[in-house]
Amino acid sequence: MKRRTFFKSLGATAAAGAGIGCTRETVLWGGEANAAGPTDTRSQGMTWMKAPCRFCGTGCGVEVGVADGKVKAVRGDTQAPVNKGLLCVKGYHLPAVLYGRDRLTHPQLRQPDGTYKKVSWDEAYDLIAKKYQESIDKDGPESVGIYGSGQWTIFDGYVALKWIKGGMKSNNLEANARLCMASAVMGFMTQFQSDEPMGCYDDFELGDDFVLWGNNMAEMHPVLFSRILEHKRQHPHVRIVDLGTRRTPTTHYADMYMEFKPGSDLAIANGILNLLVKSGRVDKRFIEENIVFKRGIEDLDKIGYGCFGDNAEKYGFKDKGQASSFEEFARLLEEYTPEKVEELSGVPAAQIKALADIYGDSKRGTVSLWCMGVNQHTRGTWMNNLINNIHLLTGKISKPGSNPFSLTGQPSACGTVREVGTLNVRLPADMLVMKEDHRKKTEKIWGIPEGSLNPKPGFHTVDLFRAWHRGDVKVLWVQTTNPWQTMPNVHRIDRKPGDGKFLIVSDIYPTPTTAVADLILPAAAWVEREGMFGNTERRTQHWHKAVEPPGEAVEDAWQMVEVARRMGYTDLFNWPDDDWHRVCWEEYRSFTTGVGKDVGTYEQLEQSRGLRWPVVEGKETRYRYAAGHDPYVKKKEGVHFYKAKANGEKAAVWFRPYHPPAESPDADYPFWLCTGRVLEHWHTGSMTRRVKQLHQAVPSAYVEMNRADAAELGINDGDKVKLTSRRGTLTLPAKLNGRAQSPKGSVFVPFFDEGLLVNRLTLDAMDNISKEPDYKKCAVKVERG
Amino acid sequence: MRVHALLLVFLVACIDTPQEPIDEPVEKTPATERADRRAYDGAPPVMPHDNLGASCTNCHAGQAMQVDGLGVAPAMPHDATPGLSDDARCRQCHVPVTTDHIFKPNEFEGQAQDMREGDRLYAGAPPVMPHRTFMRENCVACHDGLDAREEIKTPHADRTRCQQCHVEAVTDTSFPH
Repeated sequence: MKRRTFFKSLGATAAAGAGIGCTRETVLWGGEANAAGPTDTRSQGMTWMKAPCRFCGTGCGVEVGVADGKVKAVRGDTQAPVNKGLLCVKGYHLPAVLYGRDRLTHPQLRQPDGTYKKVSWDEAYDLIAKKYQESIDKDGPESVGIYGSGQWTIFDGYVALKWIKGGMKSNNLEANARLCMASAVMGFMTQFQSDEPMGCYDDFELGDDFVLWGNNMAEMHPVLFSRILEHKRQHPHVRIVDLGTRRTPTTHYADMYMEFKPGSDLAIANGILNLLVKSGRVDKRFIEENIVFKRGIEDLDKIGYGCFGDNAEKYGFKDKGQASSFEEFARLLEEYTPEKVEELSGVPAAQIKALADIYGDSKRGTVSLWCMGVNQHTRGTWMNNLINNIHLLTGKISKPGSNPFSLTGQPSACGTVREVGTLNVRLPADMLVMKEDHRKKTEKIWGIPEGSLNPKPGFHTVDLFRAWHRGDVKVLWVQTTNPWQTMPNVHRIDRKPGDGKFLIVSDIYPTPTTAVADLILPAAAWVEREGMFGNTERRTQHWHKAVEPPGEAVEDAWQMVEVARRMGYTDLFNWPDDDWHRVCWEEYRSFTTGVGKDVGTYEQLEQSRGLRWPVVEGKETRYRYAAGHDPYVKKKEGVHFYKAKANGEKAAVWFRPYHPPAESPDADYPFWLCTGRVLEHWHTGSMTRRVKQLHQAVPSAYVEMNRADAAELGINDGDKVKLTSRRGTLTLPAKLNGRAQSPKGSVFVPFFDEGLLVNRLTLDAMDNISKEPDYKKCAVKVERG
Repeated sequence: MRVHALLLVFLVACIDTPQEPIDEPVEKTPATERADRRAYDGAPPVMPHDNLGASCTNCHAGQAMQVDGLGVAPAMPHDATPGLSDDARCRQCHVPVTTDHIFKPNEFEGQAQDMREGDRLYAGAPPVMPHRTFMRENCVACHDGLDAREEIKTPHADRTRCQQCHVEAVTDTSFPH
């Protein structure tokens, strides 16, 4: 602590007391100041405010300590129901992400010689408005786009949606949650016709068995994993099953580890369904009351992978549902015998049976958990369907302690992208641009003419960037995300500015994406502005602005409001300039009320540590669709899937077969490559790498290898290793004795390191329904570097 | 000694000599070094050593211990941290330092360690805690043992229920509890 800050905080301490000056007691013993009353001198002049953590989808509550206009500390909020005072190492080091010396502080416009020139906000806003308008006039609204993020606040997402869909009449609005959560969305939508989980975090203290599908929870959702571990410690009957393609820190805590071949989780889930159905360990009454059976398109040749042949430019596969029956479902499952599943997955038949026994035990509560392993999967929606199927057939759903629960990786993937609907086909609260009644409702709330919204879906993310690369999309604004690091097969969008297109990037630090921008805008981060996030368990959390942003940085939402107003959409954003968040919130909230998606009022959220929707008469909902919990369920007991109107308010169980991955190892590229995160770094590392403690723990990317493979190739720990895929090459150090172990024939590389871009190797294969890319499976060659 | 040194430092602080750091540790001890390894008061300290291949709790137990060739292993202050048992996830919060390298400079200035004593109602009354516990329930991890700082050492470590008399003030937030 510098003397100057000490002096200032001392002044604040003294002022908080009786206005006394420098006395020895005030500082060392706090006598007089304390005597003045409840003002706490121990706070060193700090003001403490509440906020959700900036990082993952868990949504931990933190108390933010502010002094001298700067964030000086955070502490886990002991009264936050999510984390009960605990944080992870990223959360504890959160304040430092605001203070990297290279924060972006002024709008900067790229010059023809490649340098950037400082421009005023007025110049920047005028230029953006001009670029959008020119492109729309010349090539139509399909030629412009906005690409946002699950790190957008709900305000940011709502402004973007209203401006582009309600104003510019383009549906080219996407967000990086497409790369992350889209398969979970489509899982819920195809089965329940409403997005987001029925369960909540309370299950971590109520479940008996926790089944982790390809989910390294110990590193990716550490605070939630701690809740399970503590529950297990107190209740020794609790069991954890870890299904994975590599041993991770999570495996260490598992009662059973099932290592499967990449992509074969489809076979395992079908194997379990087969055993449950065959042995009658299903809830017949629940099935009769609540379930319909369906089949979709199952022919591999018709579906493809979104990256080969014609699909390499545009992937528009549409599934088509048809009615099926329990009998047909049972018959289709028959081929997935434990032995066949063992052959496909490498998991011993005995383990398949053991897992079926866990799901089939009606006396024990079972919680299934998954995240990127299931979602970033060429059949990710199918995997979501299969896990949900297991819970539906056994009736282990919408029950305290028994639920399928998909975890999210970003702080507002749910609140912003999924609930506001910042995706090519969506409108708020589960509505779709293709549906006339949904458009009508939206037009009415926004006060725009009936029939004016564009009914044609925009590009999904991978196709949006392909279209950008082709030049079909000419003006694109990227906010709060870093696609030039995160897109699969990223060299496909390599760019040199000056190509006639216009890329605007709002961020807080320089990234590989700002490096290719025409206009760079400085954004206010986290508590430098007011915000709302929605976490994994449907909890909406509000925070107030606590400190000023650096330089001229402006919050993302307001940047867009300024441009929209300049384009003439003043009626859409006729909000007061000062207290606009409240007005914006109540407008957005009107989409959610009365349809089972009811978010809390501004005041309710301001005064609480978040509330889980639907919030009706001030009361949150722990378990959706459950009698006695969900106010929309009028039944006395059981469940009611009231959102699934097209299926007679019943959930759909889909038969979904096994399909192989898009690219598997062969003689030329004999290794599997899996990519992912590590505990210390978050996403592309643009924030966490600027924190000394986090950077120094994991300073660069590496390739995690099996020791037997390394020995065969003569590779020692730390040696340079060259990875080659059909897309590109990357040389990086080997890690043989790290925190996780890849099985023989596979390697793992984290994606946080902008200096070692693993997405130069990955394949842009996608899920057929959600269009979410598969970052977990492609083939590489491994050589000494 | 410590109090005098602080007093001296403080008096210097009262005279306007800007930019001088005032919190030079009086003497380096394992405890002050641990404070230096925190990003701010209350942040989990980073690990000063690599993973040594054993369970963390082998050395970081209820009391500080001298480990041959390595120095003092501080006691573990967490009694009731969620998950703390054989299933402890120490690495969830405590990460090693594997390099001196910095990715980009950072100007974050953390809240300094608070050196005030706890407030007493009258001489002889038990002081309230001058700090938050941050899940450090094992008070003697810092307030007793071979690496404890003299000025915060408890005179009665044998009384095991510290929070029976010493309470934690938790009312300094600006939002409703």
